[in-house]
Amino acid sequence: MLKRYKPFLRANAMDLLAYRFNMIVWLLVTLLQAATLVFLWVSVYRSAPGGIDAVINGFTYKEVIVYTVFTTIFTFVTFNSETLWLINSDIRKGTIGNYLIKPISYRGKFIASSLGGYLTMMVMFGLPLFTISYVVFGLVGFIAIPTWYDLVFHVFLFLIGQTLAVLLNDVISYIFGLLCFYTSSGWGLNQLRATLISFLSGTLLPLAFFPPVFKTIVNLLPFAGLSQNPVLILLMKYDYLMSLKVLGLALGWLIILELFAKLLFRHAIKKITVQGG
Amino acid sequence: MNYIKLYFTCIKRSIISRLEYKKDLFIASFSFLFSNLCALLSIFFILQAIPSLEGYSLWEIGFFYGFSMIPISLDHLFSDEFWLVAYRRVKEGDMDMYFLRPVPVMFQVFAENFQPEGFGEMILGTALIVVCSFNITFALSFGTILMMVVASIFGAIIITSLKIIFASFAFVFKSSGPLLQIIYNFTNYAKYPLKIYPEFIRFILIFLLPFGLFISLPVDTLLRGTYNPYLLSVGIVVVASLFFALAVRIWTLCIQKYESTGS
Repeated sequence: MLKRYKPFLRANAMDLLAYRFNMIVWLLVTLLQAATLVFLWVSVYRSAPGGIDAVINGFTYKEVIVYTVFTTIFTFVTFNSETLWLINSDIRKGTIGNYLIKPISYRGKFIASSLGGYLTMMVMFGLPLFTISYVVFGLVGFIAIPTWYDLVFHVFLFLIGQTLAVLLNDVISYIFGLLCFYTSSGWGLNQLRATLISFLSGTLLPLAFFPPVFKTIVNLLPFAGLSQNPVLILLMKYDYLMSLKVLGLALGWLIILELFAKLLFRHAIKKITVQGG
Repeated sequence: MNYIKLYFTCIKRSIISRLEYKKDLFIASFSFLFSNLCALLSIFFILQAIPSLEGYSLWEIGFFYGFSMIPISLDHLFSDEFWLVAYRRVKEGDMDMYFLRPVPVMFQVFAENFQPEGFGEMILGTALIVVCSFNITFALSFGTILMMVVASIFGAIIITSLKIIFASFAFVFKSSGPLLQIIYNFTNYAKYPLKIYPEFIRFILIFLLPFGLFISLPVDTLLRGTYNPYLLSVGIVVVASLFFALAVRIWTLCIQKYESTGS
């Protein structure tokens, strides 16, 4: 059953490998963006009433910098879902018909390629970058050195969180992609999706910095599982109980969103008109 | 004179074709507005925790952000097509048509597209400037007003020139989109006072990719009187002219390397 989807997983993994150079340039773009944030944070803490060592919303400046670097790497590795664009082009070119007549699910194909892309990115960039950052930050004292079993368990929980993040990200991308059935503004939809995700997932700033009521609500939405929660698990800001709670929340949302996507697909597919081809 | 007429004819066509898809235009404009609002909210949440950022109040930082949107939106209105040149047009061989017409290629690229979304950015930027200026004090004089106008217009020319330069490389390397993206993203740095950056970044932002020269420095001058507004205006005009001349030169050199895809 699952074997049918393996080619899609492989294809996307190979695709990303082939475009290594592009990915490296994108890494540079991402890092430069993160650098602005790091400078901003240092400035913020320097200007804090308690001086550079102040604790703001539960974060010291060291923790915020580590957090910024890790979420940057994290999103670079996991936010590679091309799903929205692929759906958009399938609709425009009419190639969606090819998938509808095959004995595979349209959704399953995207899940497989998403996971394939994630595996490549994780091996090619994620593992080396996370390891280097962890060691460097550990050496300069930005990360407290944990006991080995704490580290192993947290890394394990983190990997689960990351996989859930990849799947959540893909289903959100898929839902926005399905909206392309109703409008042809793929660019606008993608911009909306990207903004919503980067703002509410805690990629730009930890959700702890949001105002009180807003913070509580946003922490319950699926977006927090996209980058803030897995990273905070890895950085051990969450204990085991809290880690399990946020992973459960992410899993719950994943199921809800997949069901919603299924309903939406059923409605959207009736809208399609393929012009010959 | 003919070129001006031709430009408006082309632009009219571009606008008409955009208006054909009103729902799309609405979604695009809304998403644009939304992403700017989220960026502003993020800054607001961060700054809420502290009384001032390196001596700049929340409103002053907002002013920086608002003003940065003016030259950026001007560039956005007129030169969006260069993004496509950098990402796709050369690689896919679409540039062929431009070479067959008796009008300079660069002119045609400018005339291809007019992005009305830029107006949204301009309105939001202006609104932000107005709101923030109610909460801060600064000395408006003929000199500072002149400086802000010069910085907006010639700043846009500098952005466009950089865009042309890095889009030109597509003729040599087939695609230069990501490279252009890296350069363009430095505009984000200029949305804050230069004081928050280390020396070498300030150097880059004033001399190499001079986004700081026409965003941070003029606003600083307006708020704090750091520099002489007339000298700064002259400086911006000189730099903009140099960049534009360089852009035209590089474009003409690179365009000779263009080869069609043959399809």
